[in-house]
Order: sequence, then structure tokens, then C-alpha cells
Amino acid sequence: MDNSAMDIDVLRIVCSVVLVAAFVFANATVMGYLERKLAGRFQRRLGPMEVGWHGILQMPVDGIKLLAKRMVVPQQAEGLVFRLAPVISLSPVLLPLIAIPFSPALQVVDMPAGLIFVLAIEAFGTIGVFLAGWSANNKYAMIGAMRSVAQNIAYEIPILLVALAVALKAGSFSLAEIVLSQAALWFVALQPFGFLIYLVAGLSECNRAPFDLPEAESELTAGYLTEYSGIGFSLFMIAEYTHMFTICCLATVLFLGGWHGPALPWPAYSSAIWFFMKAYGLMFVMVWVRWTFPRVRYDQLMKFAWKYLIPFALVNLLITALVVCI
Amino acid sequence: MAPGDRLVYTYIFVMLAAGIAVAGAPLIIARLIAPWRRPGTVSVQPYECGIQPRDFAWDSRYGIAYYLYALIFLAFEVDVLYLFPAVAAFDAGAGAPVLMLLGLFLAILSLALVYAWKKGSFEWTAPEFAMTAPPRQDAP
Repeated sequence: MDNSAMDIDVLRIVCSVVLVAAFVFANATVMGYLERKLAGRFQRRLGPMEVGWHGILQMPVDGIKLLAKRMVVPQQAEGLVFRLAPVISLSPVLLPLIAIPFSPALQVVDMPAGLIFVLAIEAFGTIGVFLAGWSANNKYAMIGAMRSVAQNIAYEIPILLVALAVALKAGSFSLAEIVLSQAALWFVALQPFGFLIYLVAGLSECNRAPFDLPEAESELTAGYLTEYSGIGFSLFMIAEYTHMFTICCLATVLFLGGWHGPALPWPAYSSAIWFFMKAYGLMFVMVWVRWTFPRVRYDQLMKFAWKYLIPFALVNLLITALVVCI
Repeated sequence: MAPGDRLVYTYIFVMLAAGIAVAGAPLIIARLIAPWRRPGTVSVQPYECGIQPRDFAWDSRYGIAYYLYALIFLAFEVDVLYLFPAVAAFDAGAGAPVLMLLGLFLAILSLALVYAWKKGSFEWTAPEFAMTAPPRQDAP
């Protein structure tokens, strides 16, 4: 072992692993509760009210219940892949969080190609979903998996193209430098169409309504989740909420100026507070959209990606290049 | 490999191992504390709303459109990957010739989209076509 390997700070690695892992579960708990509560409010009901004050303990109780339930593996399923699919789905979702700059001080590592890294790991989530749908050997699950893959690959391209436009503007692929270059003006002002395209495609990447065709309850019962019960189901839910959080964080970094914002009474925490407020504001918008808009039809969904989002994203990239050039 | 790179890779692989542990541990815990008995024949049937499933889902057919989407995606995604180095090199002394090159590249890139569009890959076949398909030979 040479000298450069020795100066790796073991304590920092352990702390960041523990914090990120704890954050993944905390985020899923909080978002699960908020989603159910907000869904109730949007539909003029109260949401969970029974366990704890205003149902605040509902999600931990549900987690323990799901942990203590049997995970039924269907007879015809490919047993090993069926059991491994939740793990394959959940294990990569921790990775993007180490590249995201929550504040100038609160970032695990700043990679020179952080944007590419986050996008690449995000794309990995599709594999877990596809394995889940395929291995269950259930017709609903199979159709759900097919839809999920086709949808995710279609909506990945607009995300890549608008992210490229932002990288072109900032002149860097490092997420911290992209945030730093927005100190004067957030990129949402320079790239309003890019932001819109990103939001729509991001909703679709998370498989959330109105683009939740892979798990459309009315036609596919639960899509790729149909056969999952107990802990397998909850692992997929945790992965989905973390995925959502990463998409919102990336939107904050690319378009909403990251940690920039007016100074708060607590200067040391001001930037992190701004970042989390922006990211969770976007999450609120995602929940809001989910419970407000009806689901689209599948061919409309695919047509929308290929015929509108991708051409507009290409034009957006070209115009950005033109502006940067001038 | 620069020392900074090694640090980054260390973080990535440690985090990946942690991810596998974090995802695997609940499965093992659930295996230990969940009730364990032999599931009945009904509960391990594929869920099809109570109807006895006729054959494997793996043998079922799905739309050819998915295959077309995959093909277009392959063509498009590889092209977009070439844009990353182009964008990384762009700000260094970019001028009109570089801009024209990028425009030319994007134009060629969108030809794949135009071709698929003209071929009607984004239009789904009419539903009556599916309904008049001949019945399966092995139907009882």
C-alpha cells in the first residue's frame, strides 16, 4: 500500500456511509407519511390519523408490520432473481447521494464528472424494476416491466440533453461547480424550457403519476410489484422515494441554484437549509401532480417523449450552444 | 490513477457495498422474524384475480413497439454519449466553426428520429387489427 492510499480518512467514510444510509430510510419514512397525508388533504379527507399524533407514527408501524410479514414467492417465479430484485433495486440508490452538493461543506465527494455519475446510477434503477417484473412470471408484472423499461429509456434522453445544456452553460460536469456558477442567476431563468422538460421527464423517470403506467392500478393491478409482499415491497418503496429525492436534488442543482439563497439567521446552516427546502418543495410538487392529474394513455406517453420532448431538448441544446458562443 | 481519483473510487465502492448490506439486511431480518410455514397452493399461484393462470407469462406476447423503441433508443443514446465530450470541450475557445460542427452533429443525430417518425414507429397499430387476429392453435 503506497502513501496515497493511507491518507484516505476512514472515519469520514464510515460517517458518510452511516449518514447516507440513515437518510435513505428517514427520507422514505417522511415522504411516505407526507404523501399519504397530502393525498388525504387533496381529496378532502384527513389521511392517517390513528397511530400517534395525527398519524405521525403510521410509517414506522407499517415498516415493522411489513418486516414481520411473510414474503410469498410464487410457484412459477424464478426464485433467486425474485428475491434479489429488491436488493438490486435498492442498493444503487445510495450512490448518487455521495456526489450531490447539499451545501459547500456538506458533500461527500466532489467528482469532476459528478453529473454523468448521477445520471448513470439513476439509469441503473430500471434494471431492478425489469428483473422484478420478469422474474415474477406474472402477466401483469411482465407487462409492467416492459412498459417501465420502454418509458425509462425514452425519458432518459431528454434528461441527458437538458443536463448537457446546463453543463454547457456552466462549463463543467462537477455538480459543485455547476452550483457555484449560478451565484448571480439561477439557470431556471436562462433555461426555462430545459427546466420544464426536466420536470416532466423526471416525473416519468420516477414512474410517478401521471406517468405511472408501469404500475397502473386500474389496468395492471400493481405492475411489476404485483407479486411482491412484505419486505420486498417495502424495499421497492424505499428505492422509489430515494430515486424521487435524487431527481429533485438534481433539479435543484441544475436549475434552482443549489444551495444559493438569502442569508438565514443561522449562517452556518443557511445553504443546507435552502437546498433541502428547494428539493422538498419539488417533492411536494411531485406529490401534488400525482394526486391532481389523471393518468395518460401509454401510446400518448411514448409519443410525447419522442415527438415533443426530445426534439425540443435538442433545439434547447443548440440554442444554448449558440448563446454560449456569442 | 491520481490520489483524488482513488479517494473517489473508494467512496463509490464502499457506498455500493453499504447499499448491498442495507438492502440485504432487511431481507435477512424478515426471514428470521417473519412467520415461516409452507405456503398453501393457492397463495403461491400467480396473482391473476383468482382465475387459474393458463400458461407462463414468459410465453405471453407483447407489442412489437417495445422492440422498436429499444432500437431507436440504442441508436440515439450512443449518439448522445458522443455529445458529452463535445460539450466538455466546447467552452475552450468556441467559435463559429465549432458551433457549426455541433449543429451538423445534432442534425445528423436527429435524422434517426426523423426516420423513425416517418416510418410510423411512434404510432401504435389500430386496435381492430388485434381483435381480428386468428385464434391460437393450442386453445382448448
